[in-house]
Amino acid sequence: MTLKERLLHVGRRLFLYLSILGPGLITASADNDAPGIATYSMAGSHYGYGFLWVILAVTFGEMVVQEMAARMGAVTGKGLADLIRERFGVRVVFFAMVCLLIANLGTTTAEIAGIAASAELLGLSRYIAVPIAAIFIFVVVTRGTYQRVEKVLLALCLYSVAYIGSAFLSRPPWGEVLRQTVVPNFHLETHYIVALLATVGTTITPWGCVYLQASVAEKGINSKDYHYTRLDVISGAIFGNIVSAFIIICTAATLFIHGIQVETAEQAAVALAPLAGQWAQLLFSLGLLGASLLAASVLPLSTAYAICEAFGWERGINTEFREAPLFYSLYAGMLILGGIVVLLPGIQLFPLMWLSQTLNAILLPVILVLMLRLANDRGLMGRWVNSRPTNALAWVTTVLIALVTVVLFVLQM
Amino acid sequence: MAFLSELIGQTVWDARGERVGRCADILIVHPDQPFPTVRALALEDGEGAGQFIPAEQIGWLGPNILLKVSRSHLKPFTPQGNELWLVRQILDRQIVDTEGRRVVRVNDLLLTRTNEHFCLAGVDVGGLGLLRRLGIQKPALTLFSILRQKPPELIIPWEDVAPLQAQEPIRLRISRDKIGRIHPSDIADIIADLDRRTGQALIESLDDEVAADTIEEIPPQMQVDVISRLEPERAADILEEMGPDEAADLLGDLPAHASQKLLELMEDEDAEDVRRLLAYPEDSAGGIMTTEFTTLPEGLTVAEALEYLRQSEEAQEDEALHYIYVVDEGGHLKGVISLRDLVLSPPEATLTERMTTRLITVGPLTPQQEIARLIAKYNLLAVPVVDEAGVLQGIVTVDDAIDAILPTAWKKRLPRFFYV
Repeated sequence: MTLKERLLHVGRRLFLYLSILGPGLITASADNDAPGIATYSMAGSHYGYGFLWVILAVTFGEMVVQEMAARMGAVTGKGLADLIRERFGVRVVFFAMVCLLIANLGTTTAEIAGIAASAELLGLSRYIAVPIAAIFIFVVVTRGTYQRVEKVLLALCLYSVAYIGSAFLSRPPWGEVLRQTVVPNFHLETHYIVALLATVGTTITPWGCVYLQASVAEKGINSKDYHYTRLDVISGAIFGNIVSAFIIICTAATLFIHGIQVETAEQAAVALAPLAGQWAQLLFSLGLLGASLLAASVLPLSTAYAICEAFGWERGINTEFREAPLFYSLYAGMLILGGIVVLLPGIQLFPLMWLSQTLNAILLPVILVLMLRLANDRGLMGRWVNSRPTNALAWVTTVLIALVTVVLFVLQM
Repeated sequence: MAFLSELIGQTVWDARGERVGRCADILIVHPDQPFPTVRALALEDGEGAGQFIPAEQIGWLGPNILLKVSRSHLKPFTPQGNELWLVRQILDRQIVDTEGRRVVRVNDLLLTRTNEHFCLAGVDVGGLGLLRRLGIQKPALTLFSILRQKPPELIIPWEDVAPLQAQEPIRLRISRDKIGRIHPSDIADIIADLDRRTGQALIESLDDEVAADTIEEIPPQMQVDVISRLEPERAADILEEMGPDEAADLLGDLPAHASQKLLELMEDEDAEDVRRLLAYPEDSAGGIMTTEFTTLPEGLTVAEALEYLRQSEEAQEDEALHYIYVVDEGGHLKGVISLRDLVLSPPEATLTERMTTRLITVGPLTPQQEIARLIAKYNLLAVPVVDEAGVLQGIVTVDDAIDAILPTAWKKRLPRFFYV
């Protein structure tokens, strides 16, 4: 092989990878949404770099779970809600979908709250920003084509760069960062476990699995091209968690060492200004805006699709309202309701976010068990059933998540 | 009448009132008929004489299942492989409502009794079926009556249903007959509602002509997917049935080696047309024109011309046949006459005096926007494309020209990015 041929070969492979890149990266980036950023800011400001090892561990869990979802999408060409309905029947899918709806409604509200908060940090009133954002999301999503929507979403993923930037601006001690990343430490106290659970809960999400599998199926990736998608999912998970790590580093280097403890992303952004400079605050706010917009676009629509598909209702953004009233009511309802809640004067968003996170955490082991059973079904997956290592890792992840959930509930009683 | 959901899990009693087992599934045969017959019950594992009970021995199929004979007299039954398992293969799956032309999900199945057989009568796809499956039908019905609302009941007769599932060849055979009768645009909508694999299987089950018309109606990206997953020979057959302009557009979107291979497999004549079209830029007249048009030689009378058209193969293949183009022996465009004018002209008049010679033509490289403008300005249904020498190459029809003005997103179905 001459050098030119080899370059051509590499070039072609790279091109193919880039053309398939998308679902994995978008899902992983949307996982770092407003509640996610709030969680990491909280973890960073309360526990410093001591939370970085959790991110490292969660990366593996996320890879395994999302790879499974992507593989099922590629092999069966069907969404998760589809497969659950066909394999486990109405009752199971009903339970899963009701949980998904409530959890996602809460999360969507949190995203819109993220939009409102970041807009106000950037000097724009939430009463202007929220309606504009809602209309923007509605227009982009209902008027766009696959390629265009995906490009907009991929562009929104660039928000992540903002956090890497602000972390560097905050000048952390890199040696210490590295040491704490590989050396785990653990505290058996409620607040720590809440933070741990929230971190797992914002990274590995039921809606993330649902969305990823759906977009892989929708992109028409088949088992032949699947290895590129696996690459996309794995690199997406790594990238998404590097961003999470940088948010923690950023808040740990500034807030933790000064003993400032924050509970939300906007508190973190405001607190950054005097410690790491205006630029860091601006970048942090822009990151929050991009992340919230991305997740607020993805969440309501994927929820409406999943639910309508599971129950066989008319759906699709090309239909008229009277053809698919339930689909439109669900989709628009989530956006509008979320918007209204955020705009209500004096509303406490924290209990709402807590409720949606809790529901997500309860739903997650259920979804994971169903996914594991589906992914091991030879009739469905053929030779693409889970390998032993995948099963082992996935079960460990599932059991650990379930265990942490139980421990949390016991501790709170 | 009984719903499948009411029968599953019910205890099966024999003629002496002894428990035989629990009903786990129901097997039917002849799913292509309006009322497929129940062939057997499948029992849950455990006690019981056999795993299956043949339909002849069933006495009553209601909320209670009673047999005609006692346990010891049960005939053994082995599935033949041509049965459809209602729970395993139909319940909760997607089917096509061929009457409503849409994809729905099976919430429940309605069984009924004719003179001597139990048979499948319909598919419950309504909200009431969903509530029944969830076990809250009664309270829900009460609620509906309090609110004076009608419960969302929707049962499709089995006759109007085409079950589909890619891995079950038996079911695709039925859908083929029923779906083949639906308009290709509607089939395209149905395919867009299905998951990729089932949609692919559905296209494969159609005959070449319907498949070609259907593929023309689906979005370009999906066309590419569908064609590249077909067997190359089959794909070539379908491409031959498509309009040359549509086929060229599709082949233009495929990787070069794939389209080359398909062109080689196509009939020479069709491949020739498509190759010529492929040579032009996508948004030029050459890129959007079709080579399906009808010509007449100069110097005929109207009567002769009409007779000529009846024999003309070109005219047979021309789907629209709005205009007929008059050409000389070298294929140079001399005039045009609409079919309307031709038919309404006296038989003895000559073509030359009836045809229009003030021609609106475009060149192969004229941009699509410009063609759309001309078509709108002169109220044309098609415009001829001629090369520099004045030889007729093809025509651009109004619907293809209009694509330039109307954003495609409005016309074609939006790909469902968030599809689950």
